[in-house]
Amino acid sequence: MAEVTLKQITKKYENQAVIENLNLSVPDGSFTVLVGPSGCGKSTTLRMIAGLESITEGELQIGNEKVNHTPPGKRDVAMVFQNYALYPTMSVFDNIGFGLRNRGLSRVETKKQVEEIAEVVGLTDYLQRKPSHLSGGQRQRVALARAMVKKPKVFLMDEPLSNLDAKLRNQMRVELTSLHKQMGTTFIYVTHDQVEAMTMGDQIVVMNQGEIQQVASPIDLYSMPANLFVAQFIGSPPMNVVSMYNQPSCVIGFRPEKAAIDVFESLDTVAGKGLMLNGVLVSREILGSELLYYVETKDERVVVKGSTESIIEVGMNVRVSVDAKHLYFFDRATGTRIIGEKRKAMANSVIGGIA
Amino acid sequence: MQNEAVAKPEIEMLESAHAQAWPQQKPAWGRWETIRPYAYVTPALLFFALFFFYPIGYVMYLSFHDWSLLNLEAKEWVGFANFTELFQEQDFYQVVINTGLFTVLTVALGIGLAFLLALWLNRKAKIYGIIQGTIFSPHIISLVSVSMLWMWMMDPQYGLLNAVLEALGLPAYTWLSDTKSALLSLVLVSVWKVVGYNTIVFIAGLQSIPRDIYEAAELDRSSRIKTLYKITVPMLSPTIFFLLVINTISSFQVFDTIAIMTQGGPVSSTNMLVYYIYEQGMDFFNGGIASAASVILLGLVGLLTLVHFAFMSRRVHYR
Amino acid sequence: MYPLRLYVFKTIEWLLLLAVALLFVFPFLWMALTAFKTLPEVFRFPPTFLPESWQIQNFAVAWKSGPFLTYLVNSLFVALSILVLQLFTAVPAAYAFARYKFKGRNVLFGLTLIALMIPPQVIFLPIYVFMSEWNLVNTLWSLILPYGASAFGIFLLRQAFMQVPDEVIEAARLDNASEWKIMWKVMVPMAKPVLVTFGLFSFIYHWNDYFWPLIMTNNEQVRTLPIGVAMMKSSEGDTLWHVIMAGNMILVVPILIIFFFAQRHIINAFVYQSK
Repeated sequence: MAEVTLKQITKKYENQAVIENLNLSVPDGSFTVLVGPSGCGKSTTLRMIAGLESITEGELQIGNEKVNHTPPGKRDVAMVFQNYALYPTMSVFDNIGFGLRNRGLSRVETKKQVEEIAEVVGLTDYLQRKPSHLSGGQRQRVALARAMVKKPKVFLMDEPLSNLDAKLRNQMRVELTSLHKQMGTTFIYVTHDQVEAMTMGDQIVVMNQGEIQQVASPIDLYSMPANLFVAQFIGSPPMNVVSMYNQPSCVIGFRPEKAAIDVFESLDTVAGKGLMLNGVLVSREILGSELLYYVETKDERVVVKGSTESIIEVGMNVRVSVDAKHLYFFDRATGTRIIGEKRKAMANSVIGGIA
Repeated sequence: MQNEAVAKPEIEMLESAHAQAWPQQKPAWGRWETIRPYAYVTPALLFFALFFFYPIGYVMYLSFHDWSLLNLEAKEWVGFANFTELFQEQDFYQVVINTGLFTVLTVALGIGLAFLLALWLNRKAKIYGIIQGTIFSPHIISLVSVSMLWMWMMDPQYGLLNAVLEALGLPAYTWLSDTKSALLSLVLVSVWKVVGYNTIVFIAGLQSIPRDIYEAAELDRSSRIKTLYKITVPMLSPTIFFLLVINTISSFQVFDTIAIMTQGGPVSSTNMLVYYIYEQGMDFFNGGIASAASVILLGLVGLLTLVHFAFMSRRVHYR
Repeated sequence: MYPLRLYVFKTIEWLLLLAVALLFVFPFLWMALTAFKTLPEVFRFPPTFLPESWQIQNFAVAWKSGPFLTYLVNSLFVALSILVLQLFTAVPAAYAFARYKFKGRNVLFGLTLIALMIPPQVIFLPIYVFMSEWNLVNTLWSLILPYGASAFGIFLLRQAFMQVPDEVIEAARLDNASEWKIMWKVMVPMAKPVLVTFGLFSFIYHWNDYFWPLIMTNNEQVRTLPIGVAMMKSSEGDTLWHVIMAGNMILVVPILIIFFFAQRHIINAFVYQSK
């Protein structure tokens, strides 16, 4: 068990920086998820922690020890790869035991530990098989067992579930979270899937273009996004963003599930407590218990989540209203979320406003 | 747009990670990591240095000296004398002509017949697979046995071939015993041995042509003949070129069949380069002449190799 | 109903296939048949097809016509030694060419490709000269050492190593396996089909080789089977074709048996260069 600290980490490939001055602290025992679109540098960061990529500048600490120049096998970390990366020529037993033997464990001790772990992940009956004779889920378990058996200080996972079908993926998510609770080891998990990040992590690191956008718990990330990128990356469907006529330097954001939609009858009506948008319902998607409305206002298109109890027909004039407390304001130029007094002032300025 | 720009470095990273050693940027894991690749290639390269590259230099050195296997201590510098002498030998011209004729005939027949066989035998059904294996089999048999077997079949008095000719009402043929037919007989043996190999290579080439090209041609109402020379032959050109080079080089180095079947005779009618070098060097102790002839052969093979590499690299650019 | 025209075509094709097969099989069959005949029967014209009586002792005569046990042992020893040596030189070299990036890699690999193209027949003379200067002529060393590294083997294995996913190697690194161990315990087992292919190629080539032992040796103690078989013919008088063919059977049958069982591997091995 150990915390992982990245200080001013920079990674360059042939003088092109992919990651620059990255600082991150992964607390001991946390389930930290690195999430971001492809190419954001999350995998590179993970691979630097593993020792599979060299670090151009900066300092990497695992358990308060600088490990920049420690070879991967000596960092006391274990990794689960996207494609499992099992040794195809070795039996399940040898796959799991290979690392132990390389650490100089005796044959007897290796056998004991491999059998123990096989019991835990339910592979006891498959120990003599080759990976090619296993199902996808079973291979995934071998990869996990191979990592777990080493009792590492840090557990690294690079999109480990992306090769599984949807059903198995959900099941494995639950298993991984409970595994984390059992082991209490630090987990660092890379994914591009924000749903996976939100459901599994207790600390989420959102990355984009080689930079950390925000580090927060899932709830904070959802309710208090640091900037427009995070706001739109987290949540499905993403946050709506509309322009603000009286404040051209800002944009307003609101989540589809926090907006209400009504058939629009007349211009006058209620003095609203928040943002109101008039538009035409252009299409809708029924998801089951919920449905999504696509509304076209004068200049923008917004999505609103509604319930299937009363369905509005396509082509109707509709009004979208959002309570002021559910509005987010972002600086148009930097994307940073506006908070505090300034936000208050802005919220006041839109109340009852009709765009 | 922005995302694409960012995605690029990661793709490049993956590509470079594929080829490189992981501690490549800094020998952080110790100096040994920088030396390791060299240490790994050294044993093999030492063998190549000693048994390919040193001999190549050494034979050039030897070709400028008068020397003999009888007394290796005495090597006398003679400049280009060995080459001048070689080009004045009537025998050598005969040898060059024989080698050229043998090569042209073997390569042309070996590749031409193989092409036809490949077009015919490139089918899925099991019988074609069996036939492919059958015609390939001579390629893995020792040339010693192939030579002796054909020598026996070509025996003018008791041989099977003349018996067959006679049974068909044809006159007996002279095979190896006549200056006019001996070279052709050797060509026959070489073609018999190599045609199966060439066929299999052609079939591999044919199978790598995407099926949809043929389907498109069919939709365009291309006739069979037209498809053959507008699609198949151009698509096979790398294969044809490869076979040309490989077959030519191996025809240049023909030795075993000559040594066993004809010893270069009758009257030098089947004497070819490698056998000539062997005779001059090992039997007549004309080291200088033999090494000069070796250098010429080396030049020919080197030239072919260069052409081959040039073609290969061009092909890489096309793809 | 089967259209008549198609039926005729099929029949003609089958006959042609049979003819082609015979063209390549019959010489071997003729070798075998001759090996069982008596001398008078060999010299009968027109020849008989099947032997009148099956002379198994021809093989014993062939075997005793020279030190064939020595030839056989030498052949096996030389071919297997070369194979082992080639594997031990080719595996690390191929691994380095496939997996490491280092200064001069392309040049060194280019040299390997040149070695692939130059046949030994072209440079046997200088090798013979320095072999005899080092007193290695007429030893088994002179048959083994020149083939100590195989450019073809390096080429073949390099391709195989390049196909192994990076992740597997990375997993092994995280498992604290040394580079050396990764090469032999992870990569080599994954390249097993290619190793088999190359092993067959190398063994068959050197088992069959006539040229090199002929050049390098003149003492039957260090000569190999192809030389022994070829020398059966040099005696004066009538050529004893039945005994010679029996001798050739000793040389040919092992290869045909291997070919029968590993046809796919062997064809791959010999055709690989074209790809």
